[in-house]
Amino acid sequence: MRMGGGSGRPGGRGAAGKDAKGGPRKKFFVRRRKVCKFCAEKLEYIDWKDVKLLQGFIPERGKILPRRISGTCALHQRKLQTAIKRARSIALLPYATD
Amino acid sequence: MRLYDIVVLVTPDLADDDAAKVAGEYKKILTDGGATVVKEEPWGKRRLAFPIGRKREAHYVYWQVQSEPAAVAEAERRMGLSDQVLRHLAVRVDEELKRSAKMAERLRKKAIKRPPRPPAPPAEAAPAASERAERSEP
Repeated sequence: MRMGGGSGRPGGRGAAGKDAKGGPRKKFFVRRRKVCKFCAEKLEYIDWKDVKLLQGFIPERGKILPRRISGTCALHQRKLQTAIKRARSIALLPYATD
Repeated sequence: MRLYDIVVLVTPDLADDDAAKVAGEYKKILTDGGATVVKEEPWGKRRLAFPIGRKREAHYVYWQVQSEPAAVAEAERRMGLSDQVLRHLAVRVDEELKRSAKMAERLRKKAIKRPPRPPAPPAEAAPAASERAERSEP
């Protein structure tokens, strides 16, 4: 009841008012929006023989680049993952490098 | 009949023609089992991403084959027994291709139904507007 009243009226003091204003100015990062490469380029089939493509998702260490960094969507990350693992099994890609 | 991608890694100790001959044996097993070769690409001698049995290179041979599962299984079994084959991989691809073709089709239809988004307004306009709004409020 109290919460509802606070947020509805602009004059209301308290948490609701603060939220709307955002309080003291926070640092504002302009982050580039990450887009799934496979969605953007409409690549539906991820070929495990395409080493050049897969290499882009293999950082120095040889691990698979996580979704949170590459921005790949869940569906394509899953396909990418199997493609990389297949390529690894015939030594097209490394399992690990040090 | 199913579509398979098959890759064979033959020892680098053999010369190119000998390696091709070894790979040819497995192709023969496949074709004898009723398979038809759709694509054939010798990738040549490639560096391995990691050493396999002290070898740093291998002759890669790739086929795409329309085959019964039994023929592929038999070829893979023989590859496993051979000393000349370092690694081999057979992957069934027809279902995956079909599924991704379906997805592509769906995407295409969606794109037609919904006209492409109008080009984004100039990058400066949006943040400037929101900033002004915030300033005016207090």
